[in-house]
Amino acid sequence: MLPISAIIMFIFGATVIYGGLAYFIYRAFKKQKEDEQD
Amino acid sequence: MAAIGSAVGLGNVWRFPYVCYQNGGGAFLIPYFVALFTAGIPLMILEFSVGHWARKAPPETFKKIGKKWEWVGWLTVLMPFVVAMYYVVIMAWCFSYMIYAVDLRWGGDAGSFFSSFLGDTGSPVILGGLSIPILLGLVAIWFTVFFILYKGVKRIGKVVALTVPIPTILLIILTIRGMTLPGAIEGISYYLTPNFSSLLDINVWLAAYAQIFFSIGVAQGIMITYASFLKKKSDINNNAFIISLADAGTSFLAGFTVFSVVGYLASTQGVSIAALGEQIAGPNLTFITYPTAISLLPFAAAFFGFIFFVALLTFGIDSAFSMIEPISTSLNDKFKFSKAKSVGLLCTLGFLFSLIFVMGNGLHLVNIFDHFIANFGLVVIGLIECVLFGWLFAVKKIREHANSTSDIKIGRWWDILIKYVIPLVLSVILILSVVENIAKPYNNYPWWIILFLGILPLALLFVFSLIFTKIKPKGVKK
Repeated sequence: MLPISAIIMFIFGATVIYGGLAYFIYRAFKKQKEDEQD
Repeated sequence: MAAIGSAVGLGNVWRFPYVCYQNGGGAFLIPYFVALFTAGIPLMILEFSVGHWARKAPPETFKKIGKKWEWVGWLTVLMPFVVAMYYVVIMAWCFSYMIYAVDLRWGGDAGSFFSSFLGDTGSPVILGGLSIPILLGLVAIWFTVFFILYKGVKRIGKVVALTVPIPTILLIILTIRGMTLPGAIEGISYYLTPNFSSLLDINVWLAAYAQIFFSIGVAQGIMITYASFLKKKSDINNNAFIISLADAGTSFLAGFTVFSVVGYLASTQGVSIAALGEQIAGPNLTFITYPTAISLLPFAAAFFGFIFFVALLTFGIDSAFSMIEPISTSLNDKFKFSKAKSVGLLCTLGFLFSLIFVMGNGLHLVNIFDHFIANFGLVVIGLIECVLFGWLFAVKKIREHANSTSDIKIGRWWDILIKYVIPLVLSVILILSVVENIAKPYNNYPWWIILFLGILPLALLFVFSLIFTKIKPKGVKK
């Protein structure tokens, strides 16, 4: 079993990196759609 | 996509895990994230914005802010060209290992196999023999780089549509396999459990900034060149965030891939992970520790070994051709070469210079070149970029240009990072590295080796930058 501190580091890292990446990719797609509509 | 391919490379798969391990495991992630947001992303925005604004390769871009700075542009494109010469050699090793993985040719002693594969002489000055498998790999990689680049940007787009997602999928498959192995949790625990006392160690912070700096691929003219190809409407800030986070995400994932297998290896050999410490570094990790663990897999060992090296090759190829693209575009801008001519010339030259790394002393030369170019060359360029754009050029204009393309507006905090924080951090890294290298020469090599193989190539790059600046192309209209 992973120590609790390792689990916290995993959640922190995954949230910042993959959460951030997902957010910015979502923004890029959203902008692309808006540009196409314009 | 091409910029993501350029940023994500071999360094993400073997460098990040062992740097993280050496600097406090999970605790390293904290300075790593701080470095990502205070140096990596701001520099990425800077290079993207400047390249997008100038719409030229680095020499012409730097010339736009002042004719006397053209040489800095040439320096930024010459540096990755030199890196490519030995980077391609590491890829050639991966190419051979991809074939060897089919029958797990390294057997039970991957360490001896690696030495014999290289024909290692144990010294950078004893040449030894030419390694035919590495030579063949080298020809294949340089030819591939030529084939991708000579037709221009459109072919790059088609290639990266495959070479970015494929290795990522392979890495995910390897991670899933690694996580299901006995002992994997111990490996992951080693990777993630924070040792908070290491946060007080300045070297951990320096290692984090260095990792971000080298991994993301800034200060190499690559992002300036790629940004010059972007459409006018392209969102600079969003692109910079996506590329930087994709790079960090690959490193984070690679940590799981590698440490789950390292945990398995330790459990199979009945030793602690700490006992493997010396093996978890640089080429040892990729070419000794990982193959050893792969051959111990209960089933489909050859398959997982094969896809590991395919992943490394496909990660590496984008980075390799992105190191040639800036100097190729620069030659085309200044001397009006055709794309095929400049790429052909550079790949031939690159291949010929790469031959010096194919001999029995190749591993040592790769280590020396990498140490001096990564620790000094790129840091100096990053520092010059921040000083030039932050102090001599209106940094506010660069920020406004980036904001004009993007919904995500960056504020004055970015100016402060470019003008003060990043130059300060890079100066400290540079000074400490110089002091450390003077106190203890790299790998305890004699000074003449350090001067001849480490410092002289860097000095020559400065000289060639000035020569390229001084040459006036004949028959080219202003």
